[in-house]
Amino acid sequence: MRQTPPLAALLLIALGCTGEDRSSSSTADSARGGTVVISVGGDPDGLFPPILSTTTGKAVSDQTYDHLADLGSDLNTVGDGGFTPRLAKSWRWSSDSLSIEFQLDPRARWHDGRPVRASDVVFTYALYKDPTTASPTAPLIASIDSVTAPDSLTVVFWFGKRSPIQFFEATIPMVIIPEHALKGIRGQALRTSDIARKPMGSGRFRFVSWTPGSSIEVAADSANYHGRPRIDRVIWTIAPDPKTVFTRLIGGEADVLEQVPMGDLPQLAAHPELRPVLLQGLDYNFVAFNLRDPRNRARPHPLFGDRALRRALTMAVDRGRTVQSVYDTLAAVALGPTVRAYPTTDTTLKQIPYSLDDALRLLDSLGWRVSGADSIRQRNGRRLEFTLSVPGVSRSRMNMAVILQDQLKRAGAKVNIDRLEIASFVDLENRRAFDAVFHGWHVEASPGGIRQTWGASGTKSGGSNHGSYSNPEFDAAADSALSAMDLPTRRAHFKRAYQMIIDDAPAIWMAEPKTMMAINRRIRTPALRPDAWWSSIGEWWIPSTERIARDRVGPPR
Amino acid sequence: MARYLLRRLAQVAVVVALVATIAFILIHLAPGDPFGAAMDNPNVTDAVRAQWRAAYGLDRPLPQQFASYLGSVARGDLGWSFSLQRPVIDVLRDALPNTLLLMSIALAASFSLGIALAIAQASRAGSVTDRVLGGISLFFFSVPEFWLALMIVVLLAYRFPIFPIGGMVDSVMHSSLTSWGKFIDVARHTVLPAATLTLLFSAVVARYQRAALLDVLPAEYVRTARAKGVPERSIVRRHALRNALLPVITLFGLAFPALLTGAVFVEKVFAWPGMGLVIVNSIESRDYPLLMASVIIGSVLVAAGSLLADLLYRVADPRIRDDR
Repeated sequence: MRQTPPLAALLLIALGCTGEDRSSSSTADSARGGTVVISVGGDPDGLFPPILSTTTGKAVSDQTYDHLADLGSDLNTVGDGGFTPRLAKSWRWSSDSLSIEFQLDPRARWHDGRPVRASDVVFTYALYKDPTTASPTAPLIASIDSVTAPDSLTVVFWFGKRSPIQFFEATIPMVIIPEHALKGIRGQALRTSDIARKPMGSGRFRFVSWTPGSSIEVAADSANYHGRPRIDRVIWTIAPDPKTVFTRLIGGEADVLEQVPMGDLPQLAAHPELRPVLLQGLDYNFVAFNLRDPRNRARPHPLFGDRALRRALTMAVDRGRTVQSVYDTLAAVALGPTVRAYPTTDTTLKQIPYSLDDALRLLDSLGWRVSGADSIRQRNGRRLEFTLSVPGVSRSRMNMAVILQDQLKRAGAKVNIDRLEIASFVDLENRRAFDAVFHGWHVEASPGGIRQTWGASGTKSGGSNHGSYSNPEFDAAADSALSAMDLPTRRAHFKRAYQMIIDDAPAIWMAEPKTMMAINRRIRTPALRPDAWWSSIGEWWIPSTERIARDRVGPPR
Repeated sequence: MARYLLRRLAQVAVVVALVATIAFILIHLAPGDPFGAAMDNPNVTDAVRAQWRAAYGLDRPLPQQFASYLGSVARGDLGWSFSLQRPVIDVLRDALPNTLLLMSIALAASFSLGIALAIAQASRAGSVTDRVLGGISLFFFSVPEFWLALMIVVLLAYRFPIFPIGGMVDSVMHSSLTSWGKFIDVARHTVLPAATLTLLFSAVVARYQRAALLDVLPAEYVRTARAKGVPERSIVRRHALRNALLPVITLFGLAFPALLTGAVFVEKVFAWPGMGLVIVNSIESRDYPLLMASVIIGSVLVAAGSLLADLLYRVADPRIRDDR
């Protein structure tokens, strides 16, 4: 099952896979110019910020539009200490913390030359909240009551109650959109509007072109109020085949690959012109048990309704070895429904330990006995057998599922792996028509999504808590954590919530993968943000002596 | 001839309508949803999903959706692509010419190469040349499209970087090139995908054509020509080939679906922005309007290929003209 020789990954990490390239300081070569080519696997789902959900879409949008403030690489979303000014040059909290007043940078201009005004921010907020826009970002700004504009450069965000991530909610989920380009357009017409495919923002890059299935190009905005970016152009070159995406990188046709496939790591090591960059991931994957009977949701699942059985199965899985076999050093064992990148995550959470002997004893004590010739346990005529559905697009999850199948067989449980294409997999989850699923979540920069993914509110039809885990004490602890105003208290409440869910074992927490990017060494970068590595592209640079033919083409006129 | 053509066109219309109806039913029977990937985003609430469904008319009963779709198609509106957020007609306008370019080059090249190989083999039947060429064509006849495409990329774009790895143009340099430069750029990018399709399909043509030639070469009129002292080269090219072309003309009709299927794999590996990619993406994303339009276009291409083959057949074989 091993995909990568361990030495390959170790070597890559030994090479110093940090986000920051320290080989040359930014002041050593201040010349501007050059082109960054990013190899990606597909077109974005549009370029209209309120509705897009693909990484490429967000990356392009973040170059062409502005946030009010930017998040730092430590992802501290509590208060405003972890943020730097962007479209807002300063801000002030009200004494009761129920409003934040932002002062916009008066130099900010849309790419058509008009000034950015407070009314644009008010318009943006209304657009994201408008039900006819149907923005998936709307839940992330639900705590904002209203946005007002006392004058053309002042904008005030009003909140119904205090929350530690008020500032994050006001600044990160939304990018600011020009009112004059979209005024009067609503609903479906927004998606078909010109700006939905040709973004016109105030960001450091201007949109140039999008040739579907081929490329997207943005060029440095030389008149930008934060200064002209150091790079002339950024081009996303699109190829649908993963091998082609990677070959473009090693063949020199592209400079950046966002996620190097595990199987290609040894090849990456053979290309010294490429710099591996290891980023702390914002993903975790797990085997979720369905706690309700898929045939009659009023009843508990005949197997997984039993907490003790779930714990026994968890005990029988050697997660450390499984994760190491599949990811080598490029993932850690998941701690629970969280990621280590959050400053609120406590790494000392007590896990259900791996012990086959204890698992066997527990299963015996629960009445699950081996009786047939195939060594599969039975109780009251029911075999300890279930189907684990896995999305076929995830090779790592498929590989882990096979190892897990073998390990659980030793405990007397039979796992039938059902490999599904992604649309069918999602359909199965949404219908709750499964025994167990190998799921993965990519989480936001802030841990607020825990309510929707593991809380009782996510258990209803259409919610994201597919396994229907429900524990009022967990919900209360998560709510306390999310409303705690200081980091230590927040961390303590989260620790209690996570410990509760780990002990309840609604899932076997498998892996927390890291992101292995590759960037051509001629491109120098500052530290990269784990949730949005592209956020600093405007500060990337290429020393003039290391430029190649495509760097000298220059920006389009 | 005009009546025949009209009758055949009417048949094509019926076939396409049937294909569209069956495709619509099957597509909607398949599990999944156009917003499947978005549904995997925990922030997409029930209310948002309901709004999306309503916006695209997916909340209505299936017969109503189908009637509405047929109405739109009749008005020339192929709908809105959910996954690409643009009109389906625009997606097709971009992709179809690219695929037709690739297919027409591959079609012309594979028939030329296939027939040439068949002549070389049939005129030396049983010789070493025949066996070597037969082995080569059997190899290309048997290999999977994606494997051959990947091998060609590795060899001619990566190990020996003679041609670009993928795409239809150089996304970095293309806009700065002169008109001639742009033409050369597209031509360079076309070589490998077109060559892959050509290698695959010329093997098929060669095998069919060789067999057909071997059937014709012992015929009496060929023997007569030989007896009259006509050179062997002339016998094969002038006398045998025309009669041996008939089975290959049938193959011409079959080439369209085969090349379209081949294009799905070849376009994916070479990142060629054509119909193959559109079809794969629309299936993966359950993009109903785009998938329906792709199916219709595909069936039109296949029917058009078949019609063209029949017309060529009539030109090549006067007996058929008399029959109809």
